[in-house]
Amino acid sequence: MSPELIRLIWQSTLDTLVMVAVSASIGTLLGLPLGVFLATSKRGELFAAPAANALLGVLVNATRSTPFIILVVAIIPFTRLLAGTSIGTAAAIVPLTVAATPFIARLIEGAVREVDQGLVEAARAMGATPVQIVRKVLVPEALPAIVLGLTLAVVSLIGFSAMVGAVGGGGLGDLGIRYGYQRFMPDVMATVVAVLIVLVQLVQSFGDRLARRLNKRLRHA
Amino acid sequence: MNAPVRPGALSAGALPIALAEPAIRFEKVGKTYAARSGQQAVSALAGIDLSVPTGSILGVIGRSGAGKSTLIRLVNGLERATDGRILIHGEDVTKLTESGWRSQRRRIGMIFQHFNLLSSRTVFDNVALPLEIAGTPRAEIAAKVERLLALVGLADKSERYPAELSGGQKQRVGIARALATDPKVLLCDEATSALDPETTRSILALLRQVNRELGITILLITHEIPVIKEICDRVAVIEGGRIVEEGETFAVFTAPQHPTTARFVETVTGVEVPEHLASRLRTEARPGDSLVLRITFIGENATAPVISRLSAIVGIDVNILAGRIDAIAGQPFGSLLVSVPSRAPESEAVLGALKSLGLKAEVIGHVS
Repeated sequence: MSPELIRLIWQSTLDTLVMVAVSASIGTLLGLPLGVFLATSKRGELFAAPAANALLGVLVNATRSTPFIILVVAIIPFTRLLAGTSIGTAAAIVPLTVAATPFIARLIEGAVREVDQGLVEAARAMGATPVQIVRKVLVPEALPAIVLGLTLAVVSLIGFSAMVGAVGGGGLGDLGIRYGYQRFMPDVMATVVAVLIVLVQLVQSFGDRLARRLNKRLRHA
Repeated sequence: MNAPVRPGALSAGALPIALAEPAIRFEKVGKTYAARSGQQAVSALAGIDLSVPTGSILGVIGRSGAGKSTLIRLVNGLERATDGRILIHGEDVTKLTESGWRSQRRRIGMIFQHFNLLSSRTVFDNVALPLEIAGTPRAEIAAKVERLLALVGLADKSERYPAELSGGQKQRVGIARALATDPKVLLCDEATSALDPETTRSILALLRQVNRELGITILLITHEIPVIKEICDRVAVIEGGRIVEEGETFAVFTAPQHPTTARFVETVTGVEVPEHLASRLRTEARPGDSLVLRITFIGENATAPVISRLSAIVGIDVNILAGRIDAIAGQPFGSLLVSVPSRAPESEAVLGALKSLGLKAEVIGHVS
C-alpha cells in the first residue's frame, strides 16, 4: 500500500473519529435532558406532563423509524442551514446528531426507568425537589446503565458515520466506497473494515470497563 | 411553619403521654383513589381517628393490603388524604402545597423495608443526602454525619458502599439518614420485615434508644406482632382500611377485643393449646382423668412463685404442660397450661386457691 494511501486511511480515520465524537457529544447533551424528561413525565411522575411526553415520544419514534440513509437526504436543507454545505465531514455531523439524539434519549430513558422507585420515594420523603431528585438520585443511580447506553450509541454512530460516506460525507465509509468499492481496491476495503472493527472493540471495552467501575452495586465486602 | 414544641414533652426517659399535644393526629381521615378508566374508585382508608402521643411509639399492625402503608404515607404527604384532617404537632398539614410539604418533610424522618439507600453513594454520602437537599453547609454536614454514624454504631463503615453491608447495617444507615435533619417524628415502614429475628431485635433496640434518648415520636407499621410487643407503647390494629382496635399495647395484648387482634396476639402470648394436647382433650371427665387449666399471669403475678404457693395451699401436685412468660411493652405477662386431678374436691380446691391468689384460670378440658 502506498504511503499516500496510508495517509488517506489515517485522515479518514480521524474524520470518522471527529464525526462520531462531535455527534455523540451533542447527542448526549441534548439526549440526556430529553431522556430524563421522557422517563419522568408520564402521569403521576415527577414532572408529570403526559401530553408533552406523548408528543416527544412520537417525535423520537418518528426520527428513529426513518432509515438513516433517508434521514441524511431528507434533512439536507437543514444541514445546509447549519453547516453551510451538505458535503463533507462538517455536514455529516448534522444528520449524525439528529439520529443520535433520540437514540440516546431512549437509552437514557430506559436507564433512568430502571432506578428503583423506592429511592425516589425516599428522596421525596427527605423533602427533595424534583430537580434534586434527578440530579442527586436518578442520574447518579442510572449512571452505569447510561454509560453502557452511550457505548452502544457510539458504536452505532461509528456504523452510521460509514453510511454518510455514501453521500459524500467523508471518513472511513467514504474511503471504503470510493477506493475499496468503486476503484476495486480490496486491500483498502479490508483495511477500512479492520480499522472499524478495532474502533468498535476499543469503544466497547472502554465503555464496559467504565460502567463496571461506576457500578457500586456489585461490590463485595 | 414550625408548630410549637414543648421541651418537656421531648424529655428523655419517662413518657409524659397525653400531657402534650399529640405528635400526630388523624381526624376522620379517609383516602379514596379516584376512578380510572375501566376501574372503580377504591377506598383505601376510611374514618381513621388516631393519635400518636408525643414521645411515644405507636405501632399499626395489619395484614398486607389493610391500608397501613397508605396510612403512614399520609403523615409525610407521599399520599394525600381525601377526607378529614391530619395534624402534626397541632399543625394541619392536609392543605399543604407541594412546596409546603417539602419543608414539612424535613422534620419527619422515614425508614423503609428495603432500606432505599443509594447504591452509588457511600454510607457517609447516603447519610449526608438529606442535609445536601436541605442546603446545609459542607463542614456542618461532615460533623453531623460522623455523629450520626457513631450513634448507629457504623463509624467504621463510613466509606463503604451499601452493597458491602448486611441488612441490619443497611437499616442502621437508613436510621442515621432519617435522623440527619433532626426530625421530631420518625416513620418506620415495615423497617424490620426484611431482617432476621436477631437483627430485628437489634434494630428495634436502636429505635427504642432513638425514641428514649432523642425524644423522637415513632409511628411504625408492621405485620409482625413481635415488633409491637417489643417496643410499642400503643398499638392500633388495622383491617380493611379501618382501625378496629387501638390502645396501650399491654392492655390490648392481654385483653384483645376484636377477633383480628386476638389472632395476632395469640402467636406471642402463647395462650393457644399445643397440638399434641388439643387432640387428646375431652369435655367430659372420666375417672382418673386430669383437669387442664390455663392460668394467665398479668403484671406482678407473672413473677410471683404462684405454682409453689398453689401446691402449698391445696396440698396436691400441679403438673405444668406448657407455658410462657414474656414481657409485653416492658410488662411481664404469661400463661401456663397445667393439669390437676379432675376429681371434684381437689379440682375445686385448686380453682378456689387460684381465685384467692388473684389469678385468672380457665378450664380447657380433661385428659387421661
